[in-house]
Order: sequence, then C-alpha cells, then structure tokens
Amino acid sequence: MSSIKVPESIKKVRDEQFWNKDIETMSRERLDALHLKRLLSLVDFAYSQSKFYRQKFNQIGLKPQDIKSLEDFKKNVPLTDKSEFIHLQQQNPPYGDTFALPLEMVSHHCETSGTTGVPLAIPYSMLDTVRYGESWVYGFWALGIRPVDTFYFAFGWGNFAGFWSAYWGARRLGCRIMSGGGLDTKGHIEAIVRMKPTVLISTPTFALRIAAVAKEMGVDLSKSSIKFTYHAGEPGPTALPGMREQIETAWGAKAGELLGIAEIDAVAPGCPNGDGVHINEMNVFSWAYDPLTKQEVTDGQIGENIVTTYANTSQPLLNYRTHDLVRRSHGCSCGRTWVKLDGSVLGRTDFMVTVRGTNVYQTAVENILSQIDGMSMHYELVLTHEDGNDVMRVRFEPMPGVDAEQATRIAQDAQEKIHKALHVKLPVVPVEVNSLPRFELKTKRIIDQRPKELRRALDR
Amino acid sequence: MTSEDIQKIHGLRQQIIELIKVCDTPQIETILKSADMELHCALWNLGELVSLRPEMDYSD
Repeated sequence: MSSIKVPESIKKVRDEQFWNKDIETMSRERLDALHLKRLLSLVDFAYSQSKFYRQKFNQIGLKPQDIKSLEDFKKNVPLTDKSEFIHLQQQNPPYGDTFALPLEMVSHHCETSGTTGVPLAIPYSMLDTVRYGESWVYGFWALGIRPVDTFYFAFGWGNFAGFWSAYWGARRLGCRIMSGGGLDTKGHIEAIVRMKPTVLISTPTFALRIAAVAKEMGVDLSKSSIKFTYHAGEPGPTALPGMREQIETAWGAKAGELLGIAEIDAVAPGCPNGDGVHINEMNVFSWAYDPLTKQEVTDGQIGENIVTTYANTSQPLLNYRTHDLVRRSHGCSCGRTWVKLDGSVLGRTDFMVTVRGTNVYQTAVENILSQIDGMSMHYELVLTHEDGNDVMRVRFEPMPGVDAEQATRIAQDAQEKIHKALHVKLPVVPVEVNSLPRFELKTKRIIDQRPKELRRALDR
Repeated sequence: MTSEDIQKIHGLRQQIIELIKVCDTPQIETILKSADMELHCALWNLGELVSLRPEMDYSD
C-alpha cells in the first residue's frame, strides 16, 4: 500500500454534485454575455484563418465586425453543413479549405462513422482534445463516476471520434483506464470478469450484445464489477427509455448517455435526471430552427439543433446544421442552467421518410419499439419504394424464448402502437433470433433499398 | 475561486509565456506550452475572457 495520501481538497471535491458548479449553474445573462464575446472571437479567427469562411462571408458582403449581438450571429452568419465540408475535403484532401491551423498543430485525426455516406475527416489540436474530453467529464461526474473508478472501453480504437474523446475525458477525470482493443465480444466479457472495471464505455446496442453473449456463456453481468455504463454514438438510454431498462437490468448498473457529434464536440452530456442532455455551454453555442420555415423555434417547440463550437479550432464549425431534431428547455431541476434537450435527439431531418403523406422519423419509431414487451433491441427499418410511395417495414428479433405465435402478437402490438402514435401503418415483421447483424460501433438501423436517385445525396 | 485567485492564474500565464519566448530546449518549451494550455483552459472554464487559443497570446 502506498503511503501517499489523497489530499483532503480532492476528497471534498469528490462529494460535489457538479464537476464545475460555477459554470454549470451560471445565470443565463452571464452565459449569453460570455457566448457573445467568445463568438466574436471565433468569427474573427474563422474569417482570418479559414479560406472557406472568408469566401462564405465575402460572398454575402459580411464582415466579422458586422456581428454585434447573438441575434446578428444567428441571423447573418451563414448556415454550414457536413456535405459542404465533405465536398471541400474531396477537392483538397485531407481537410479542405475549412481547415484553420497549420498541419503540424493537428495532434489527432478522426473520421465520422460514415453512417450517412462518405466519412468526414476531423482534425483536432491538443487543445481541442482537452476541451472535448472535458465535455465527457460533466456527464461522467453527474452520473456519479469519480476518479476512483476504472473505465473499460469495449472499443476497437479505430478512427471513430466517439470513444477516443471518451478516453480523453476519462484521462481528464483521472480514472484508471483499461482498453478492450482487439478483443471480440467473448474477450470483452472475460476481460471485464478478470480485470473488474467499474465503468463500461460502449455503444448502447453493443452493451446489450455483450450482455446477451455473457448470458450464453453462463456469466451474469448484473453481478459484475460494472457500476456505470456510459454510451454515445446512437440513440441510447436517454432517448429510448426502454433501452435504459434493458441495459440497467442486464448490467445491474446505472446507464448514462451523452449526445456527441464527432466533428463538433461531446456536445451535450447527460442530465442526472436521465430524461435529457444539457448543451455544454462552455464549448458550444446552440439554437434551433424550423428547417422548413427557417425561423428560430422557442423552448418547447421541435427544431433542428444548430451548433457553433469553440472546441474544434482546427476545423471551425459555425452555425452548423446537425440535422438533429430537438426540443429545448431551460430551468432543469438538476440545477444546471445549461440548455436542456428534453429526451436528447427526437429525430433526424435527414432520416425522415414520408409514408402516405406522413413524415416518419427514425427515432420516433425506435422510441415506440423500445417499449414493446417481448421485442429485443435488435431490429431494422427497411425502406423501399413501391408504386410511387416510400414504404418503411420494421423487421425485429423477439426476445429469446418467444415462440412464433407470441412473436406475431408482438408484431401486431408494435404495429398498433406505431399507428396510434404516428398515424401511419408500418408493416412489422418478426425474424429469427440472432439473424440480424450485430455491430460494435453504430448499429445500422436503416436499410435503404430505395433507388439511389430517390435518396438524399449523403444517403446514396 | 476568488477574483484574486483568478488574477494569480493570469499572472502565472504571463510568467510562463515569458519563459516560452526565451526557451531554447524543445522538451522544456513543449512542457511550458502544455502548462500554459492548461492554465488557459482553467481560465476558460472559470468564465474568463481569454483568447480562443492560448498561443494567440504569445505568437508574433
């Protein structure tokens, strides 16, 4: 045993509710004043350092000094979109004209997972990785994770930003870190049993996959050392309450989630209440608008999350369209003053299909499916185009042990609940247990079999 | 933290920046820059108005 004592000041901090109370509970007035000054500095930086922003501003005759208020920023700084960044990167690899730093200042390269098409290359400076890691820590801390905990990363350490940034966060928090790199699912289970970590980092569906394989091996992970699971990369325990129940039961642990967007930041760490996420307003300025009317929406209304980040200075992102549909609110009972996104991401603008005149969002369907008794989290939404209309079918695996007759009843139940909630009839079809593909990273839910010319550019 | 504490962090940064400017050892310069980045980060997360990136305060 070491004779080095943990300082009293650190012990005291471990009992605190917040990672940084002063800023997590800062008044709206002070936050907005800070945002304005930081945004002006960022606009200056982007205009002077990035050819992309200089051209974009010059095209509309906008100069950085024209921005004098948050309203000016929201209304006058042009919206940006991932498709522009990908296009410019393809023209001038690896980072295109949006790049704002000398290449030697890039300390880490990641890529988006490519779930919407071509991956986006993302440069991070050392400072960017530190700030990005901080965003995770707000979430870890709020869930109850402390420096004494040990993280296990069920993650292959490729170029996926999601869990590299979680690693930066765990390192920042000062925890012990164990890598599951290179292991298959059984290997992860054996490692967890042998090394006794207390925090699992994985995608939510992979956490369930690990638990299912453990059960087959005769290992009950609800009795393992894991006390917390933390997730990102796809809708998880905050967006899908049914998934929270499954994960927490399977692991005997408290499940948390944050909303991360690889090229921006771990944008919004989870609320300790478990019913939403809070925008990290030290790293991100955000607002929301109606993508059809282009008008800003107010609290309680659903709109697309538009984000500006201070955390990626290598590739600045100003008024960036996330395509995430969110409902913003203020005044959370957890004490944080940072904007809350109730239920995290409610849907995607770019994964919306119109079925018989009704707009159907992927997450809306997933939310219903996650609460159907007897339905597992292994399902896919198959899009086809028939007789001039888009059609969405749900194919799902029932829970193990469910017979064919019960599976048919589960399908009927799901179909009725979707119809009642979304006013659209979607065929729901059971398939054999273990017949759908499993994923370590993002689960591919949408199987788009429509002709390519009927899909959005990035979905082709 | 009190405003006096925050001023001390600003002061520490100034001292480190002076050292970065005269340092001729790559290893030590890297460590000093790292220390300045962390202090910049502390000020940022105290809601202080600091430049967007720490080296903007010592680059020519």
